[in-house]
Amino acid sequence: MNEFKTYLLWALSLLAAAALLTLLWPREAETDAEAAALAEGRVMITHWDRHSGHEHAERLKFIEEFNRAQHEVYVRSIAIGYAATMEKVLTSTAGGAPPDLASLDSGFVAQLAPQGVFLPLDDFVASEPSLHEDQYFPHCWDMAWLDGHVWGIPSTTDAYCLLWNKKAFREAGLDPEQPPRTLRELEEFAARLQVRTPVGRVERMGFVPWLPWDHTYLWGGIFGGEWYDPVRDAVDLSNQPAIAASLAWQQSFTYLSAAEPHAAYALPVAEVDGFSEGARDYFSTNNPFYSGQVAMIVEGEWQVTFISRYAPGFEWGVAPVPQPENIPPSAYGPTGILDVIPATARHADAAKTFLRWFYTKRGPGLTSPASDYNFVIHNIPPRREEAAEPRFSGNPKFRVFVEQLDRPRIITYPVMPVAQYLLDQHLRQMERVILHEVSPEQAVQEMESMINKELRRVREQVRRGKQ
Amino acid sequence: MTGREWRDLRNGLLFISPWLLGFAAFSVYPLVMSIYYSFTEYNVIQPPAWVGLDNYRELFFEDPLFWKSLYNTCYFTLFAVPLSLAASLGIAVLLNIKIRGIAVFRTIFFLPSIVPIVASSVLWLWVLNPDHGLLNSALREFLGFDGPGWVADPAWSKPSLILMSLWGIGGAIVIFLAGLADVPDTLYEVAELDGAGPWRKFWHVTLPMVTPTILFTRVMGLIASFQFFTQAYVMTHGRGTPADSLMFYALYLYRESFYYLRMGYASSMAWMMFVVILVSTIAVLISSRRWVYYQGE
Repeated sequence: MNEFKTYLLWALSLLAAAALLTLLWPREAETDAEAAALAEGRVMITHWDRHSGHEHAERLKFIEEFNRAQHEVYVRSIAIGYAATMEKVLTSTAGGAPPDLASLDSGFVAQLAPQGVFLPLDDFVASEPSLHEDQYFPHCWDMAWLDGHVWGIPSTTDAYCLLWNKKAFREAGLDPEQPPRTLRELEEFAARLQVRTPVGRVERMGFVPWLPWDHTYLWGGIFGGEWYDPVRDAVDLSNQPAIAASLAWQQSFTYLSAAEPHAAYALPVAEVDGFSEGARDYFSTNNPFYSGQVAMIVEGEWQVTFISRYAPGFEWGVAPVPQPENIPPSAYGPTGILDVIPATARHADAAKTFLRWFYTKRGPGLTSPASDYNFVIHNIPPRREEAAEPRFSGNPKFRVFVEQLDRPRIITYPVMPVAQYLLDQHLRQMERVILHEVSPEQAVQEMESMINKELRRVREQVRRGKQ
Repeated sequence: MTGREWRDLRNGLLFISPWLLGFAAFSVYPLVMSIYYSFTEYNVIQPPAWVGLDNYRELFFEDPLFWKSLYNTCYFTLFAVPLSLAASLGIAVLLNIKIRGIAVFRTIFFLPSIVPIVASSVLWLWVLNPDHGLLNSALREFLGFDGPGWVADPAWSKPSLILMSLWGIGGAIVIFLAGLADVPDTLYEVAELDGAGPWRKFWHVTLPMVTPTILFTRVMGLIASFQFFTQAYVMTHGRGTPADSLMFYALYLYRESFYYLRMGYASSMAWMMFVVILVSTIAVLISSRRWVYYQGE
C-alpha cells in the first residue's frame, strides 16, 4: 500500500510538472489571427520595431494591410523601444532566436554588421529596381553601406532644424517671423529671449546648444570639423581647430560664477544642468520647448506630428540651423532607420517578401506603403522621389526639413563600428566642458585617444573573427 | 547506508533536482565561465579569444572610468550603509514601543519597500527635479531659497541617491524588529531597578543585544550597495550622468558588456568587484569580534 502511495505521488508530481510546462510553453500563435494564419500554412515572421508609441501603432496598420493582401507570409510586429535595443538584439542573436526582420537605428547596424550579425542584402537590392542606390539621398544610402556590403534598407530618415517659439519672440520684442540665420544672431536672440525672476532664477532660456539632448556632433560639423576620417579609419581631432572651437562655443553658454566675465546669453551652470534634467519630459506637454522654458531649440522633423499631438495651438516656426558666417552651410541628418534581416533569421525569404511589398508602389500613380508610413509619422522618406511627393512638400513646415537634405554637405554619424561609443564620449566630454571641469582642448585630446583606442580594438576583434 | 537511506537520498535529490539543475545551469556554469571569459576578448557573437591578463592590465592602468566608477561606488557605500543602518535601527526601536495601532505604523514604514525600484526611481526623479520637483518647490515655498540641482548637479547627485536609499530600509527595519524582540525583558527590568533611563537602557542593553543583527544588516547592506545599479540605470538612462558622477561600478560593467560588447572586460570587472566585496566583508567580520556580542557567550 505504501509503495502504491509513493508511486501515486510520483505520478502526480510528474503530471503537475507536465501541466505547468504545457501552460508556460511559448505558443506559436498568440492571437486568433495568428492561429488562422498558421492553419492556412503561412510562414509567420517576427518583426522588431525600434519605433514605439503612436509611431508603432501606425506601422501596425501597414503590417495588417500586408497580412490581408497575401496568403504566404504573416508578420507579427513587436515594439522593442529604443533604450535597450543593443541588449535585445545581442542576446537574441547569441541565443539563436533573432527576429526575422528588424527596423533599427543605422548606428546600431554599423556597430553590429561587421560582427556578422546581419544578412548582406546586396543580391536582394540588385534584384529590386525600386531599391536601387540612385533612388536614395546619397547620405541615406551610405548609412546602409559598410565594408562593401548593403546591410539594410533605409526606411525613414531625419533632418534637424531650428524651431522657435513665436509667442516668446513677441514677448521679447523680436519679429516672430524672423529667426536667427547666423550663430552671432542666435547668440543675440538667445540673450534677448532670456527671462529671469527678480532673484535671478532663470524662467526662460533663449537657447541651449545641448537641448533636448547632446548635439556635440552637430556643432562640431556646423563649425566645419570632421569627426571621423574614413580614409585613415581614425578620429583626428587635435589637428582641427573647428572641433575645439565648437566645444568652446558650447561652453560659452554657461558660467560658474556671475563675477567672472561671461556672454550675455550665458546661464549659471547649475540652472542649465537642471534644465537638461527636466528635458526628460519629452513626450508630453511639459516638454521644455512647448511649455516655453526654452525659446529656441534644434529638433527634427517629427516635431510636426509631435507638436500637433502634445501641444496643439503652440505657435512655432522652423528654419535651417544657424551657421557660422564664414563657412558654407551644412545640414544635419545624422541617422535613419534601416530594415535589416539577422544572419541567423529562420525565414529570411519571407522577410524579403514583406520588404518587397513595403517598398514597392501600390500601382502606377500610387504611393508605396513605406512612403505612406513616413507620411503618417512625419519622418522623411530616404528615397528622393518620395520625399518630393506633394503631401510632404505641401506642408510648409515639413518642407523646410526636407529641403535641408539637398544641401551639398550633410553631417551624418560616421558609418563605423564604434559610432555609439563615439557619441557616448561626446556626451561625457561635453558635460565636463560645460561644467568647466576641463578645457575644450583637453576634452578633444581625450576624445581622440579614447575613440581611436576603441576603434582599433574593435577592428582587431573583427579581423580575428574572420580568420 | 541501508536500502531505505539510499531511497530517501535518491528521492530527496530528485525532489530538489529542479533547483539543482537551475543552480548548476544559471549560477555555477556562468560563474566558472566568467573566470575564463575575464582572460579573453569576447563579444558573445564571435568565439572568445584568449588575451591573458590584458583585461586586468587595462582596468588598472588604462581606464580612468574604472577608478571613477569604483570611487563613486565606494563613496555611496561609505555613506549609504551606515546611514541606512542608523535609520533602520532608530525606526525599529520606535516601532517596538508597545502602543495602540503600532501594526499600522509598522505597515506604513514597510510600504515603500514593496514599491518596485524602477517605479520609485522614476518617482524620485520627479521629487528631485530641480525646477518643478516636490523638494525644491517646497524649499522655495516654505524656506524661501532655491535648493541644489540634486541629481542634475554632479556635486549633489550622489548625496541625492544616498538620501534616496533611505526609502528602501523597510526590510532592515523588519529584521531589526525581530532582533529587538529577542532582547529579554528581564534585562530591561534589571536596568530599571538600577535606575537606568530610556537612553541608558538603549545604549547599555538594546544596542549590545542587537549587535548580531547589526552585523548581518551591515554585511548585506555592504554587498547590496557595492552592486548598486537599478536606480542609477533608471534615473540616468544608463549613462551615469551628470559628468560620470552616477557612473556606479555595476552600471559601468553593464555598459561595457551590453553597449560595447566587451563581455571579457566586463567579466574581469565583475571578478574585481568580487574581490572588493570579499575583502570588505572579511574586514567587517574580523572587526565584529570586537563589537558584536552574542548571548550565552
